[in-house]
Amino acid sequence: VTIDVIGRAAVEPVRRRRARRAGSPALWFAAPALGIYALIVIYPSLAGAAYAFTDWSGIGAAHWVGLDNFKQLFTDDQSFGSLVNTIKLTVFVVIVQNSIGLLLALGVHTLIKSRNVLRTVFFAPAVLSPIVLAFLWKYMFNPAPDAGLNALLGFLGLDFLQQNWLGDPSVALWAIGITVVWQFTGYSMVIFLAALQGVPRELEEAAELDGAGRLQRFRHVILPLIAPAVTINLTLSTIGGLKLFDQVFAITNGGPGYSTETLSTLIYKQAFVFGQFGYSTAVALVLTLLVAALALLQLRYLQSREVTY
Amino acid sequence: MITRSTRFRPWVWSAVVALMTVGLVACGSGTQDSDSTSGGTQSGGVTLTLTSITDAKVGWAPLIAAYKKVAPNVTIKASYAPTDQLQTALRAQLGAGNAPDLFAAWPGNGSAMSIQQLAPAGLVADVSDQSWIKQVPEGLKPLLGASGKTYMWSSCVAPIGVIYNKRVFQDAGISSPPKTWDELLADADKIKQAGKVPFAVGNQTPWITQLLPYAIAPSTAFAQDPNLAQDMLDNKKSFENSGWHTVFERYMELYRRGLFNKSPNGTTYEQTQQLVGSGKAAMAVQVIATMPPFLAAAKDKSDLGTFPFPAAQSADQLQIPAGVCAGLAASANSKHVEEAKKFIDWLGRPENMATFAKATFSIPLVGADSADVDPVLKPFTPFLASNKTVPFMDQQWPNAKVQPAHFAGIQELVAGQTDVPGLLKQLDEAYDQK
Repeated sequence: VTIDVIGRAAVEPVRRRRARRAGSPALWFAAPALGIYALIVIYPSLAGAAYAFTDWSGIGAAHWVGLDNFKQLFTDDQSFGSLVNTIKLTVFVVIVQNSIGLLLALGVHTLIKSRNVLRTVFFAPAVLSPIVLAFLWKYMFNPAPDAGLNALLGFLGLDFLQQNWLGDPSVALWAIGITVVWQFTGYSMVIFLAALQGVPRELEEAAELDGAGRLQRFRHVILPLIAPAVTINLTLSTIGGLKLFDQVFAITNGGPGYSTETLSTLIYKQAFVFGQFGYSTAVALVLTLLVAALALLQLRYLQSREVTY
Repeated sequence: MITRSTRFRPWVWSAVVALMTVGLVACGSGTQDSDSTSGGTQSGGVTLTLTSITDAKVGWAPLIAAYKKVAPNVTIKASYAPTDQLQTALRAQLGAGNAPDLFAAWPGNGSAMSIQQLAPAGLVADVSDQSWIKQVPEGLKPLLGASGKTYMWSSCVAPIGVIYNKRVFQDAGISSPPKTWDELLADADKIKQAGKVPFAVGNQTPWITQLLPYAIAPSTAFAQDPNLAQDMLDNKKSFENSGWHTVFERYMELYRRGLFNKSPNGTTYEQTQQLVGSGKAAMAVQVIATMPPFLAAAKDKSDLGTFPFPAAQSADQLQIPAGVCAGLAASANSKHVEEAKKFIDWLGRPENMATFAKATFSIPLVGADSADVDPVLKPFTPFLASNKTVPFMDQQWPNAKVQPAHFAGIQELVAGQTDVPGLLKQLDEAYDQK
């Protein structure tokens, strides 16, 4: 503590001097960007949010309805169901995508010959459009036993795993989860891989000399060092999961029934199918707050676990 | 360290401001450009923008070319998109006040882009004084407008019936299509015994879910109460308290007898085209206008035919669902609303209605007898002539929520997540919303 205080005292005057000299030009420099940001991001967002308190139908005049839209959101089964589905899907995607992504990263971080090819192959789905992938997977999820994924499972002798993928309400949500994981695992892998490449070899070697096994080295040396990558991956996949729209919209459109409806598809339907822009905006506002709150909490927690050597 | 050379001086600021101004002006002129294409004049002529559904392109192309000869100073710029995307985009454009001069509109009520939702908001031009309207059958006229006025043009009536594979019928020992509900069940059982799927049902595609109930309802719920749609609007009847329960019970009867393909909820519309086209399935209950993709999937086009869905206990009691097709409305806020209305008036001529209807595999709204309809539509024309048709049910529902509730409800019914009384209750709840 003493050292810290002394250190800070020594640094302080220098920093203050520099701040005075550089401060005002730096702010001026940011002004045009801030102005544009305010004009095209902050203003429309706030102006849009105001519709959450109206009954606007998308055409014609809007009337003030106070908190009615929010009351409806928390009392309506369908909306509540969408919230539950969104959370289930997010948890599934965050856990599975990052676990597989980490395993793949560890795999291609080795010195095997095909590692560069494999890195490309695993990352490839991430650069494709989610809509294209959705149609591809819709074909794969054909319920007929002699088509798509079911045919493959049958060929491998795994008939018991054959499913009515998109038609069974208890399976459809996870089927969508599979497509999301399939697409974005490579993305997680790349971030983990970058972090793994930053782990100093000498630390690993030191641990090895001290007699640490593979698992122990991973648990006590590598994992703490790649913690920033874990933070980024978990945060990005949580935000992505909560906002999930394209895949659900293109694969099931919320069905069968309402079993794969997420908050994002609910927002879309309420606005553009039912013409309830006011209510839709209210749901969007809740989703925004939810994403922001969860992302911040998660970020705080994970960052508190990060270490540097 | 900041050096003199990187400090911002007044002239730098002026330059930045000037650049931004240029940028904004550029954006502004972009909007102006698009304004002039959507409604401005080009060398003394008028350009009208038209937006419609992709499936209707085959109908619009020849008509737009023909209109150029009738009105050489009018250029019509058409663009197309699939139904759901188009409805979304159009509603947003209408809300923002930059809708095309002419755009696709849906008859009756029941969706956000249906004419009875648009007209009260003052978004579509009144065309009540045009002469072609007199020839539209009385029963269908109200669907083209609201509160006694006409606001849209439509060329045709599209029946729902059965698209079937004749070869599968022959192989199962069936010589002619069934004419009653009992015959239908008996034939379907024969097809099943022959190892084929009687009905290809693609409920994974939401709009497909409504077709079978719509095919059953005219001969059951609407046979009991011909005024059912109006009675429901007047709160005298409801889904629970009407023949609608028979509709869904019959639906479930077909499903429980194992007459659908495996996992209807996981099967898509496109997959049903393959099933019927390839002869793995015998029948698909469909809007007959969807014939082209089924023909494309068939090994031999002559294998496919059509017949009315026999939902009645006797052939002479049979009524079929026939909806007025999506059509065209003129934007009330267009700069060229008069030119747009003139185009609609011209579209109302029987020969133009016939051209459009023929291209889209449907029956013309005006002059159906004189027009040479496609052979696949022949089984349905007698029902129109003798007024044994019921409009698509959603066209008479009061809001845009009943139809999605119906789609989801049928999926839940098949998935066992709800039963018939549960579905009826859900539909009534959606119906009673604003």
